[in-house]
Amino acid sequence: MTRSRVVIPPRLLVHLAARSLWLHKLRSTLSILGVVFGVAAVVAMSSVGEGARREALQQIGALGVDTIVVRTKVSAKGEAEGPGLSLRDADSIGAVIPHSQAVAAVREAVLQAETASKRVDVSVVGTTPAYEEAARLALRQGRFLTSIDVRDRKRTAVLGAEIARSLFPLSEGIGETVRLGGDWYDVVGVLEARGSRRSKGGPIRARDVNQVVFIPLPSLDSGPDRRPDGIEEVLLRMDEGRAVTAAAEVVRKVLARSSGAEVEVFVPREILQQTQRTQRIFNVVTGAVAGIGLIVGGIGIMNIMLASVAERTREVGIRRAVGATREDVALHFLAEATLLTTSGGVLGIVLGLIGSIAIQQFAGWTTAISPWMLVAAMTTALLVGIGFGFYPAWRAAHLEPMEALRQQ
Amino acid sequence: MARASRPLVTLNGVTKVYPRGAVSVRALAGVSLEIGEGEFVAIMGPSGSGKSTLLSLLGCLDRPTAGEYWLDGEAVAGLDDVHLSRIRNRRIGFVFQSFHLIPELSVLENVQTPLLYGGVPVPEWPGRAEACLARVGLSHRATHRPSELSGGEAQRAAIARALVMAPRVILADEPTGNLDTATGDEIAGLLHDLHGEGRTIILVTHNEALAAAAQRTIRLRDGRVDS
Repeated sequence: MTRSRVVIPPRLLVHLAARSLWLHKLRSTLSILGVVFGVAAVVAMSSVGEGARREALQQIGALGVDTIVVRTKVSAKGEAEGPGLSLRDADSIGAVIPHSQAVAAVREAVLQAETASKRVDVSVVGTTPAYEEAARLALRQGRFLTSIDVRDRKRTAVLGAEIARSLFPLSEGIGETVRLGGDWYDVVGVLEARGSRRSKGGPIRARDVNQVVFIPLPSLDSGPDRRPDGIEEVLLRMDEGRAVTAAAEVVRKVLARSSGAEVEVFVPREILQQTQRTQRIFNVVTGAVAGIGLIVGGIGIMNIMLASVAERTREVGIRRAVGATREDVALHFLAEATLLTTSGGVLGIVLGLIGSIAIQQFAGWTTAISPWMLVAAMTTALLVGIGFGFYPAWRAAHLEPMEALRQQ
Repeated sequence: MARASRPLVTLNGVTKVYPRGAVSVRALAGVSLEIGEGEFVAIMGPSGSGKSTLLSLLGCLDRPTAGEYWLDGEAVAGLDDVHLSRIRNRRIGFVFQSFHLIPELSVLENVQTPLLYGGVPVPEWPGRAEACLARVGLSHRATHRPSELSGGEAQRAAIARALVMAPRVILADEPTGNLDTATGDEIAGLLHDLHGEGRTIILVTHNEALAAAAQRTIRLRDGRVDS
C-alpha cells in the first residue's frame, strides 16, 4: 500500500461546499448578511474618507505645500474687520522673510467682462509678475504680466483656461481685447488648464485659476478695499517646503508690529498635516467599526456552521466510513465557511460601491475607492471565515464515526 | 469448507474498554478469530454481546484498547486516523442496516462518495459508479434521490457504494434489518452472489435465517467468542 496521502483537490472541495450551501440557500444567505453589511460599511465609509483625503490633497496641492497665504480677515458679510493688508505689508514681508522665492500681492474684484459677443461676470485678480511663480502658473500661450505692465499700469490681461474658452470660444484668445469694468484690456496670455474640481469649501479657499482674469495690480482700482494701496492677499512661496511654519510665524509678527492689519495666515502644509492627522483618526474609527462588524458577521457564520455540523452528523459518519479522514471532514466545513464569507465579502464590496456612489450622488461628498482597501476588506472577510469556521470544522472532524452513524 | 489459504482478518486477544466516567465498560474481553480470504462469515450474538463494537473495530472505525488486528497482512491496531481512513476507503465496503445514504445527493453521487476520498480522478467517477449500480441492478435509479427509493433499492445503492472502490471485504451490519422478508431475501441473495465472485463477506446479524446463508458463524457472548 502506498503511503502517500490522498489530498482532495481544492476545486472539488469548493464545488462540494458550493453544492451544500446551495441546498440551504436561505440559511446561507442569512448567515452571510453580517459579513455583507460589515464589508459594505467599511467600503462605503472608507470611500468617504479616501475622497476627503484626495480632495484635501488636491486643494492643498493646487496651492502648493511650500506656500503661505496671508489674507485680510473678513467678516461673514465679506467686509474687512479691521485695517486690511496694504502694498507696504507685501513689501515688508518680502524683505523680512529670508527664503522667500516669490511674493505676490493680490487685489480681487468681480467685474463684468465684455467681448464683442459676450457679457459675463468674472473674477479679476490684480497682481504682480511674481504671482506666476508663487502660484505655479503655466502658460499655454503668450506671456504673464511683466513689471512694465505693473509700472505703467498697462491694460493687459492674462486669462485662465476656462474663462478664455468661454469668452473667446472661436479663437485662441490671445491678441483679442476684453472690456473689464469699462476699460479695454489686451489679452497677452492664456494659462494652461489646471486639473482641479470645484471644491465645496474646504479648509482653504483655493482660487480656481482656470476661472480668473489676471491684470496688473495698479490697473485694478476697484474692489472691496477702497484704499489706493489696499490689497486682499499676499501669496508667498518659500524655496523650501519645511521653512513655511517658521516663516508663517515671522509673517504674523511682522504684520502685528508694522501695520496692525487684521489678517489670517494659511499654511497649506500645516493644514495638510492637520488633515492627515484627522484622516488617521478617521481610519482608526473606520477600522474599529469594521472589526466589530466583521466579528459579529463571523459569529453569525460560526453559529450557522455549528448548526450545520449538528444537522449533518450522520453525513459526517457516512463520509468517515467510506474513507474520509478527520482532516477531510474539517476541510469540507472550512471550505463552506470560507466560501460563505468570500461571497459575503464580494456582495459587501458591491453593496459598498453602490453605497459610495449613492453618498456622492445624494450627500454631495466626494468619495474615492482605493484598491488596497478592497483587498484589505476581502482578506479580512476571508480570515473571518477561516477563523470562525475553524471551531465548527474541528467539532465535525472529531465526531466519533460510530456514534455519528447511530444518530438519526 | 473453503477456508482460504491465508487469513484476511486476524484478531488476537482484542479487548475494547469504553471509559464511562468512573467505571469503564468492557465491550470486548479478548476476542481472537481468523477469517480467510473469500469466506462468508456471520457474526451473531444477543444484543450487548459486543457485536457492534467488534464491527466498528473490524471496520477500522475504532481502535482496540489492547490486542492485535491484522488485516490483509497489515497490523491495523496502532494505525493513525489517516491510515485507518485509507483502509476503510480501499479495503472495506460498509453496508448498514439503515442504508446511510446521504439524502441530499443522488444515488449516483452517493455511490461516487468513496471515490472522492480514494483520490480517483473525477472523469472516472461516473463510469465506475454506473458499473456498480448495474451490478446491483439499479442503473435506472441513478439520478433519483435516496428518499425516492424503496428500502430494497436503497440497500442496493448502499451495496453499490460499498463495491465502488473494489474492496477485499464487505462488512454488512444487519443489512436486512429494515426490510421485509422478500426484499431481505433479495439482498441476502445479492451478498451471496458477491461472495460467489470471490469477495470476503462479514455479516453481523441476529437473524438466524440470514446467518444460515453464511459458510461459518462466529457467536459472541459477553464480549468473547462463544463457539
